[in-house]
Amino acid sequence: MAMRQTPLTCSGHTRPVVDLAFSGITPYGYFLISACKDGKPMLRQGDTGDWIGTFLGHKGAVWGATLNKDATKAATAAADFTAKVWDAVSGDELMTLAHKHIVKTVDFTQDSNYLLTGGQDKLLRIYDLNKPEAEPKEISGHTSGIKKALWCSEDKQILSADDKTVRLWDHATMTEVKSLNFNMSVSSMEYIPEGEILVITYGRSIAFHSAVSLDPIKSFEAPATINSASLHPEKEFLVAGGEDFKLYKYDYNSGEELESYKGHFGPIHCVRFSPDGELYASGSEDGTLRLWQTVVGKTYGLWKCVLPEEDSGELAKPKIGFPETAEEEIEEIASENSDCIYPSAPDVKA
Amino acid sequence: MQTPVTIPVPVLRLPRGPDGFSRGFAPDGRRAPVRPEVPEIQECPIAQESPEFQEQRARAALRERYLRSLLAMVGHQVSFTLHEGVRVAAHFGATDLDVANFYVSQLQTPIGVQAEALLRCSDIISYTFKP
Repeated sequence: MAMRQTPLTCSGHTRPVVDLAFSGITPYGYFLISACKDGKPMLRQGDTGDWIGTFLGHKGAVWGATLNKDATKAATAAADFTAKVWDAVSGDELMTLAHKHIVKTVDFTQDSNYLLTGGQDKLLRIYDLNKPEAEPKEISGHTSGIKKALWCSEDKQILSADDKTVRLWDHATMTEVKSLNFNMSVSSMEYIPEGEILVITYGRSIAFHSAVSLDPIKSFEAPATINSASLHPEKEFLVAGGEDFKLYKYDYNSGEELESYKGHFGPIHCVRFSPDGELYASGSEDGTLRLWQTVVGKTYGLWKCVLPEEDSGELAKPKIGFPETAEEEIEEIASENSDCIYPSAPDVKA
Repeated sequence: MQTPVTIPVPVLRLPRGPDGFSRGFAPDGRRAPVRPEVPEIQECPIAQESPEFQEQRARAALRERYLRSLLAMVGHQVSFTLHEGVRVAAHFGATDLDVANFYVSQLQTPIGVQAEALLRCSDIISYTFKP
């Protein structure tokens, strides 16, 4: 009896989810942060999707969000021209870093001492989090708004992507080392430290480059425009999602399309594997995050594997029940769940 | 072409969403900082009182003051301001345990004097008296 993927829908956001990030694996498990145009980024337990808290404070759409390795700090980038650093345990705002334009991307170094930001002002900024009053170091050179900026090579280098270029910078000298040009808009970038791999998406392409030399390794074409892709920690699979609302899973070695899933009601903006590779999360224009199993049918988190032979009595029967319309049923239950009326404070729209 | 029959992977429950009234980060959550043990009262000098303890002491003091004010009102003429701009005067007698009703006598109303009456606390906006 083949098992069919049951995505777990995490509701709560009221507008499109544009970015998501996982923390590393901590003694308390791993965590997930989602950036949303409703200005209220949320922290969730990574393996179950359970909501933990909402970071309140931004006055505009939040375009980027990240967690540090041990999930003690969070950083967010918003349309209110600020990046904020938060205590991810208490939810309190620790720092507000003023910028001159919309901030799109934030990234912590491995030791959480520095925060990299980038945005529409085309500048990369490096903040020393131990000296929040000090002016950040600035790196200029981009000729269009920065969409993504990441630390790489053990924080000795910086990767940044704007509309048509990906650039590699040396942290110490603050100068450009190399750049890649694209004739299509770069939609996303992911950095895999183990193996120094860079995943870049543009158009329908999912491309893999060396993060050290920026030399191309390989690339795949998807059936539709891809907005985000993520490589499995063990580099066996990659997942991608985009404008056709579907998620695709490919074999990294052969490029063969293994699985594809419908489920979201809008374009997928971000997709990431969990740090243990057991699941991947997708964020969509439809305002939801969905968690998907890497190995369908495995018992993990909220998914409970049932062997067909045991399934004679109620013991094995899942609480949701499994007629053929399970997907729609789960959607209904999810929508009951999601009608928690979040107090609509009269906050300023972006 | 036959599609194989598949059953969806069962789930224990759906992910929990926001509670709708707080920002979360529950103090009893997994990663909540461990609260230090409250020290014994005898061992605790005044200077090291926790804010909660101080607050409770203030609440107790204010409550005692209020109860004493009610005692002081007994037998006195009290002027009550009620809803809709109504003002009445009466001799105060007592309140019940929850201060939900005021027992008064000689209540002066627009339609005459009531010998004994109960005023509902929820109808009273304020009252004043001279001790």
